[in-house]
Amino acid sequence: MAIAHYQSEFERLGSLLPWQGSPQWQEWRQSGWARFAAQGFPTTRHEEWKYTSLAALEKLALSCAPVAAEAPALTWDSLQARAVLPQARYRAVFVDGHFAPQLSRLDGLPAGIAVRPLSTLSAQDSIGLQAALEAVRTRTPFAALNAAFMAEGAWITAAAEASLDDPLLILYVTTRGGQAQHVVNAYDLERGGRVAVAEQYLGLSDEPYFVNQVTGVQLAPGAQLHHVKLQQEGERAYHIGALQASQQGGSRFESHSFALSGAFGRNDMETALLEPGAAVVMNGLYRVAGREFQDFHTCIRHESPDCTSDEYFKGVLDGSGRAVFNGKIVVAQDAQHTASRQSNHNLLLSDQAEVDTKPQLEIFADDVKCSHGATVGQLDEDQWFYLRSRGLEPDHARTLLIDAFSLDVLSSIGHAGLRAAMDHLMRGQGHV
Amino acid sequence: MLIIKDLHASVGDKPILKGINLTVNAGEVHAIMGPNGSGKSTLSNVLAGRENVTVTSGSIEYLGHDLLALEVEERAREGVFLAFQYPVEIPGVGNVYLLKAALNAQRKHHGLPELDAMEFLALVKDKMKLMEMNESMLYRAVNEGFSGGEKKRNEILQMAVLEPRLAILDETDSGLDIDALKIVANGVNSLRHPERSMILVTHYQRLLDYIKPDYVHVLAGGRIVRSGGPELAHELEKQGYAWIGNETTGQEVSSGS
Repeated sequence: MAIAHYQSEFERLGSLLPWQGSPQWQEWRQSGWARFAAQGFPTTRHEEWKYTSLAALEKLALSCAPVAAEAPALTWDSLQARAVLPQARYRAVFVDGHFAPQLSRLDGLPAGIAVRPLSTLSAQDSIGLQAALEAVRTRTPFAALNAAFMAEGAWITAAAEASLDDPLLILYVTTRGGQAQHVVNAYDLERGGRVAVAEQYLGLSDEPYFVNQVTGVQLAPGAQLHHVKLQQEGERAYHIGALQASQQGGSRFESHSFALSGAFGRNDMETALLEPGAAVVMNGLYRVAGREFQDFHTCIRHESPDCTSDEYFKGVLDGSGRAVFNGKIVVAQDAQHTASRQSNHNLLLSDQAEVDTKPQLEIFADDVKCSHGATVGQLDEDQWFYLRSRGLEPDHARTLLIDAFSLDVLSSIGHAGLRAAMDHLMRGQGHV
Repeated sequence: MLIIKDLHASVGDKPILKGINLTVNAGEVHAIMGPNGSGKSTLSNVLAGRENVTVTSGSIEYLGHDLLALEVEERAREGVFLAFQYPVEIPGVGNVYLLKAALNAQRKHHGLPELDAMEFLALVKDKMKLMEMNESMLYRAVNEGFSGGEKKRNEILQMAVLEPRLAILDETDSGLDIDALKIVANGVNSLRHPERSMILVTHYQRLLDYIKPDYVHVLAGGRIVRSGGPELAHELEKQGYAWIGNETTGQEVSSGS
């Protein structure tokens, strides 16, 4: 069913997808389609999808059409209160998978910084994107599907030593069900370039829809990308993301993922530390309730000596929510003096909630410092009683303890503007 | 203020309290002493509303209400305060946040306007001087990394801010050196008030040198076996608790005033 549906969508939409005149893009789409068609939807028999069933998504006949029938009547004023960076000086807003220039503001970017929506690129100008997306497009079956259908997204480039310190907001809003959006983000930072960005996925529809996004990151020596990804999808939404980064000497990639809502979420994230001095911070928080599901599969590849990685994920699971964390660390044979830390801590708030957490370390070098740890626990009854014995409502006490457990991930956000924005979003103003 | 009648309570299947009778009037300070395992902490926990203690029979009347019908947080807002023997560390929850939330929960319950941050800080800083506490402790997480003495002082600070009608101090002297004990006792003494009652639960007589009780009760085997004035504490100090064993099998002693 699923492959046949996407096959017919691919045939139906072929001529509507951008850059038709370009043989490179035709080849790109065809090979993407062929790869997806060969693999199909992964089943739980695949090791990487063991705890993650796609059966419900497979049954949905979603439209991959890149052209909106009508522009929804959204204004920035109506979105601003929900935006993680409500005062963002620069913003690229996409509605139902389409760039919305009237909601965006991209003028006056610092010298050497470009933020280009894909739909504004000619076939010729867009070819450079392929380098940024080359590694990610084969990462998962859905990244391959994305390669076949991709039509929109944002391409961010920083010239050598150029800096975008005032964080950019990339906001993907979904207002209607029934659609599958295949969007891409590409970050190309040249030597010493710096970018701070928040990618926010905001669902305003309670109907089923599917966001299938890929992110490619290329960091030249000394480049720094401060990246926040925020999933606030609709209650019946599917969100599947694939991220692939490659890091050269002395580069720094800070990735902070927040999967806060949505029926189903899956993120495959990988970075390769290719030259000495490269550093990655890969942190995140997932929260599930009701029947929600979130899955993070991460992989950090130490390919070179003297690189560092810090990975810290927390999970809060309520109701019949389920989550999966799989953290793979690969240290190549000549990656001596690797320093790598990984931890994953989970808080189960109900008897029905479930988490499957698995550290996976493959270390081929001998002079390394690698640590990892995973825990699954429950709310501390003594702490709860203590707060109530001071007069706090049971729900208030519970929220305080959940926040106390989970929100230390915020303090690890290195970029002050992004940290303040996330702090505000997660805590509100209520704390002294 | 507080009338406990024939209170029986169990932890799990094990009966711990076996018929407590105690009356505490407004403004009185009662000390409850007893050996380990006599049921002192269970009595504190019943009063505060701890869920792991089951009251099997008897009653507790507090300011004319059935205390046992009130939830933990309702008791707190009605003026019952337990200073914990082992105050819990709560990483990630700011001390000042808890103090303010607790006070405002109580004020809201009594129909009073909530204090804003400025008003609250002025109040709490005043109370901190009393406890000889450094202001920096406000901005740390609740009890996290506090020394034993700091934790106990923090409990009394909460008491000073919340101004309870009935304070139960559970082994407040345990783990304190003499200097810390004096500070804590000073704090408690400054909170003595004709409208405020206190129950000091303690193993040792030492605390009672600094906080003078009006009445002393000896708890053993889940019952109050003797009651008297402050002199009873000194008698215990001299004789230890060994002599009680003979009395527990004897006639039940009624207590209170």
